[in-house]
Amino acid sequence: MLDGLKDIIRKSSIHVCLVNTGGCNGCDIEVVALLSPRYDLEQYGIYVHNNPREADVLLITGALAEQWKDKLQKIYAKTPEPKVVVAIGNCPLTGDVFNQEGSSVNAPVSDYIPVDAEVSGCPPRPTEILAAILAVGPDAIAARGRQKL
Amino acid sequence: MSSVIWYLYEFARKSWAENFAAAKSDKEIMDAPDRFRNFPEVHKEYCIACGACTAACPAPMAIKLVRDEDSEHEDGFTYPVINNRGCIRCGFCAEVCPTDPKTLTCGENHLIREDFTILPVDKKFVIDDYLCIRCKKCMKTCKVGDAIVEEDNKIVIDQSKCISCGECLKTCPVKGAIKGIHISNVEEQKEIINLVVDSLESKIEAEQDKIKDIKGSDVYSFDISAVELIEEARKILDDDELIDDIIENITDRLKLRLITWDKNKCTNCRLCVKECPSGAIKYTSEEGVIRNPDKCLRCSICYQTCPFGAIGYYISRFLYKRDEADKLIHVTVKTSDLPVRS
Repeated sequence: MLDGLKDIIRKSSIHVCLVNTGGCNGCDIEVVALLSPRYDLEQYGIYVHNNPREADVLLITGALAEQWKDKLQKIYAKTPEPKVVVAIGNCPLTGDVFNQEGSSVNAPVSDYIPVDAEVSGCPPRPTEILAAILAVGPDAIAARGRQKL
Repeated sequence: MSSVIWYLYEFARKSWAENFAAAKSDKEIMDAPDRFRNFPEVHKEYCIACGACTAACPAPMAIKLVRDEDSEHEDGFTYPVINNRGCIRCGFCAEVCPTDPKTLTCGENHLIREDFTILPVDKKFVIDDYLCIRCKKCMKTCKVGDAIVEEDNKIVIDQSKCISCGECLKTCPVKGAIKGIHISNVEEQKEIINLVVDSLESKIEAEQDKIKDIKGSDVYSFDISAVELIEEARKILDDDELIDDIIENITDRLKLRLITWDKNKCTNCRLCVKECPSGAIKYTSEEGVIRNPDKCLRCSICYQTCPFGAIGYYISRFLYKRDEADKLIHVTVKTSDLPVRS
């Protein structure tokens, strides 16, 4: 009974924290476009918080610059369970155009923290980001909330 | 007061409740429009394996050319494979694709179409195993899947897959480890190589007197102008780029061994005459011991035999500066690592 109630509430209210680990800012702009009235992220119960301590979902953008290696792990540790990580854009997946000879990017992000969903594109469409969050977010959060730690 | 009642009345209406419950973005907004330039689609049966898409692609890991295995009846398809995790959806590959109908298609493009012609390549790229340091940078930059492979701890270019784009040459950190070899006019190329090596050797031997003074780990270096050499090579084959390439390829790898002969120290003991494997050293009572350079193998046995230090053994290396106007060949000579008797 209590678990069921918790599930419903968790599924309908997803708090999101956006972390740019050294990208070109293009994916962040697409996330901001999601917040705008045209796409209206909050109608799905998703709220962009930018505070890892209150977040359920971490949105990672950027190719993981040298100084972000330990900081990203700290942010991941700060996020309370249950947590879901969504990598947005090509940068966290392969490093994209930054992954050139001699550049100091540490992509993929999945080498450092576990990634639950990947959205490819440079940048991805806002709807693709939304679909990824909704595909992985509610169920994973509800399922992880029931885990006995 | 009445305004508050009207405000609350808004919420009491049925249409408001319906809209509130079923609020959703328009489908039109959520769907990608037709003009949206998505990840390119590949129609592999049209591909001619020209490599234009890989050359135009600005993302480092978006496109690889892949060749299917040959079946009994026909050759395997060669076609590009798009890695969605690296593709930035710029559409340049679809724009430059020269086939008709196009191998790669995506939504609307913005790149202004330029005339594209496939350049016939007269080069074959090979890896010199002697110089290769196995850093595998070429494997990473290669635009073709599996064209550069590791076999028996050697990095090898698979000539059946290589499209001769020359990308590997640009990234190779060792000068001369990957080289482009011209595949036409092989006989003329041989003549030029012989000409270059012979004239280099004669020019170094002309410096014998200075080379004799090299001691221990000292290095004697000097420059030779290659202008005359190029003039002569032009008589064999009039292609400046080819001549430059040949001279560069030779000098990157060439290690000339040099034997010097100090007549004053020679005591005519004739030990070397017996030891020489090619019979290049002769003794006559009038002239003493004489070495014939045309027969000599530069094996250094005479140098190791001679108890009086009359014979010197040196190794010279070369660096060709092709981009400079005066076309200098830089020569460095040093003593060999063999033990010295003096």
